[in-house]
Amino acid sequence: MNPIGESLLARCKAQGAEDAELYISRGTEFTVRVYKGEIESLVSAESRGIGLRTFREHRVGFSYTSDFEPAALDSLVDEALLNGRYNHADDANVLPEPRPFEVLTGLASPAVAGVDPQRKIDFALEMERRATSLDARVRRVSDAMYSDGSGQVAIYNSRGLEASFDRTVAYGVLETIAEQDSEMQSGFAFTHGRDMDELDLAGVVKEAVENAAGLLGARPVPTASVPVVLHPHAAAMILGVLGSSFSADAVIKRRSLLAGKVGESVAAEIVTITDDPRLPEGLASRPFDGEGVPAERNELIGAGVLKGYLHNTYTARRTNSRSTGSAVRSYKSVPEVGVSNLVLKPGSLSREALLARVSNGLHVSQLSGLNTVNPVSGEFSLGLTGHWIENGRLTRPVKELTVAGNVIALLKKVVAVADDLRFMFAGGFCGSPTVLIEELPVGGL
Amino acid sequence: MPLLEQSLVDSVIKRALRSGADFVELFVERKRNQSISVEESKVQRVNSGNDLGAGLRIIHQGTVSYVYTEDLSEDGLLKTADLAAQIGRRGGGRFAFAELSGAPRPPQRIDVPPDSVGAEAKIELLLEADQAARAVSGAVKQVAVGYGQSAQEVLVATSEGIHHADSRTRVRLMVHAVAERNGEIQTAMEAPGMQRGFEFFDDTSAAEYARAAAERAVALLDAAPSPAGQMAVIIGNEFGGVLFHEACGHGLEADFVGKGSTVFTGKIGQAVASPIVTAIDDGTLPSRWGTLAVDDEGVPTRRNVLIQDGVLVSYMYDRLRAGQQNHPVTGNGRRQSYQHLPIPRMTNTFIAAGAHTVEDIIAATPRGLYAKKLGAGQVDVTTGDFVFAVTEGYLIEGGRIGRPVRGATIVGNGPRALHKIDMVANDLKLAPGTCGKEGQGVPVSVGQPTIRISELTVGGTGVVPAGAMRQ
Repeated sequence: MNPIGESLLARCKAQGAEDAELYISRGTEFTVRVYKGEIESLVSAESRGIGLRTFREHRVGFSYTSDFEPAALDSLVDEALLNGRYNHADDANVLPEPRPFEVLTGLASPAVAGVDPQRKIDFALEMERRATSLDARVRRVSDAMYSDGSGQVAIYNSRGLEASFDRTVAYGVLETIAEQDSEMQSGFAFTHGRDMDELDLAGVVKEAVENAAGLLGARPVPTASVPVVLHPHAAAMILGVLGSSFSADAVIKRRSLLAGKVGESVAAEIVTITDDPRLPEGLASRPFDGEGVPAERNELIGAGVLKGYLHNTYTARRTNSRSTGSAVRSYKSVPEVGVSNLVLKPGSLSREALLARVSNGLHVSQLSGLNTVNPVSGEFSLGLTGHWIENGRLTRPVKELTVAGNVIALLKKVVAVADDLRFMFAGGFCGSPTVLIEELPVGGL
Repeated sequence: MPLLEQSLVDSVIKRALRSGADFVELFVERKRNQSISVEESKVQRVNSGNDLGAGLRIIHQGTVSYVYTEDLSEDGLLKTADLAAQIGRRGGGRFAFAELSGAPRPPQRIDVPPDSVGAEAKIELLLEADQAARAVSGAVKQVAVGYGQSAQEVLVATSEGIHHADSRTRVRLMVHAVAERNGEIQTAMEAPGMQRGFEFFDDTSAAEYARAAAERAVALLDAAPSPAGQMAVIIGNEFGGVLFHEACGHGLEADFVGKGSTVFTGKIGQAVASPIVTAIDDGTLPSRWGTLAVDDEGVPTRRNVLIQDGVLVSYMYDRLRAGQQNHPVTGNGRRQSYQHLPIPRMTNTFIAAGAHTVEDIIAATPRGLYAKKLGAGQVDVTTGDFVFAVTEGYLIEGGRIGRPVRGATIVGNGPRALHKIDMVANDLKLAPGTCGKEGQGVPVSVGQPTIRISELTVGGTGVVPAGAMRQ
């Protein structure tokens, strides 16, 4: 075991803790932002931190530090034990028994450490250069960034758990500005992978440019009830909002709109949603969760029916269930319950075939105000931006539309899902294909 | 105990300069946090933590680079200085910082350091609040209360010989109430906080805030779905200022302005708002959530008028953007922690008080929405388009406050809405919040008096037009 881990666990025992758990994370970061062909800023760093949970008479104590000096580590133990004295005793406060986990390959690319920083800088510069030469209306870039990082998570506990894994990630982020007459529109796009070579430079440029230029001339339209098509990113963002309701902790605390609905139909039959922490392409993939419990794929909604909730060790104990390996945390926090890679299962229709089913409707590329969705009641009222659909084709851009309703009612109105699964960060790493929703009242002029 | 010995500060800066850097800045931070939460009337969590780290920013031939570390040993810091010098050696940029000016201000006065108060007293406060909220009505089904404190010490030292420090202590209460009746669920929250010690609770009653949240959640159970459409919107004071912060304030930050990515670019001296609107960013206000003695670049904060009588007067700058745009510093260079580069940020930003009373404004409004409290929102900085949730709203009918409505959002465009502000009341108040930008969260105040926007789009679930909404 890591020498820091060993000595801290021993100190916890010596001070009266029945059990203790250390969560140690270490990471590296390299980020470059460029502007007008020059480096705007370079960030390079190594960081680390340690979180300690102690268990004494079913009271949990927690403390964290980024200071690894011996005195700071001593007070880490003292503080966690002191904090624990105030917490209420709950039989559900236990450490999980260590279980073997299956290694997940491919989470970390050695290339992140090996690539010459100049190549990373060049990637950002190239994104910016190409973005300003694709469309006459897009001559400026407001953000061009390349970032990568590696992280290691190690968990040690007094039940004998010693587990660790490494993960790397690389991103390219691009935001362009399209201008025409006195109007400005911004267009955002990103590309992600385990290392720089997995990034799609041409794709991110094309998308950022199209997103900005495509919205030029957007106008409000009169209020109407029409079929609505959600771009995969818009649908993934709704998935992200729904994500918190799968948490058993939210259910226990009455903060979930899915509370008490297991076995009930909560969505159209075509809707199947899984949380899969072992997904090969998932950036939130991990072999075990924040407590060291092996990660597993969990079907949450199967053919429209709610199958169950996500659990950590505490919520599982409290509700006579089993942990689904869904503890999420950083070293600065105790394990909460959360999603990893949350996926709306794609169908077999192509995006074009799905659009062809709409003769007159709305294609939504951006949703705004998702953070205003009431997580308990599911009620929402959102701003929409996108394009009008005429005979299966996107035509004029539209903006300043609103749609109001309820997340569950919306899920029940899904009539088709395409085959074009795409991911984005929206709470968890959320993936969705293009989704067709039957008629919704869309407010405009 | 100083955050870092002066001799070590000097040798780190010297080491980074040795490699040929033109400018070196060392930022050292220590932050102690404590949070306590009570849910289901039980103490769920007493957590504490320590953040300690340093960031080294250098400019080498016009290129800015930044390296941070948690290893504050002499070895660790000198290694960091070498790394900063090495990654920054590319050069070829054109960056320079604006001169740092002004005398540093003293940190905010703290009478009772929250660390000196045991957890028992804080827990007692939370349990009282929990009981007060539950006593409001049997419909109150769930209450979550929380207490948070943080004490951040920062040190900024630069190769210009500047050596400034600040200490920022914050305490905050959070109350979240859930009311439920016949399957209908509504929630409400209150979250007061100040840059003060535990003496904050001498004149702030946790129980009163808890009652207010619970009462609002219960009242919302009787609220009708909000009507949708264009109408006059009265926006309440205090946290209502979040609308200006998000939809206009960010557009006045010099990094966006420098890239021409906001509609306020190049508009200094022009009318950008109705002539009754004056807006200010003031980092010096005593005890406020976003107040700083010096910003995170060591620049003393000041009161910056952004919009005077409708005319755009100033943007908000960090040293880098002030240097690029040939403007004096304004004390708006901020960062979430030592792990982040400073960028232009707001401090305490608000619309100044006007001449009307709230009653005047309501009486002068034949039909509209009174958005007394706003919740979360989202804004496109480039266009200024915004969406905000109304967490406490009422219909205005015939110059009177009518029935409560739920599920309302207001949708519009910040710069256009500024021109449509036609009444400003005299009840200016500020509220604390955490502002997010480029992945960095910093504490700020938002604020305003009650204002009226003559016309705004309201989104809501109600399908019946407002005029016809009677039982």
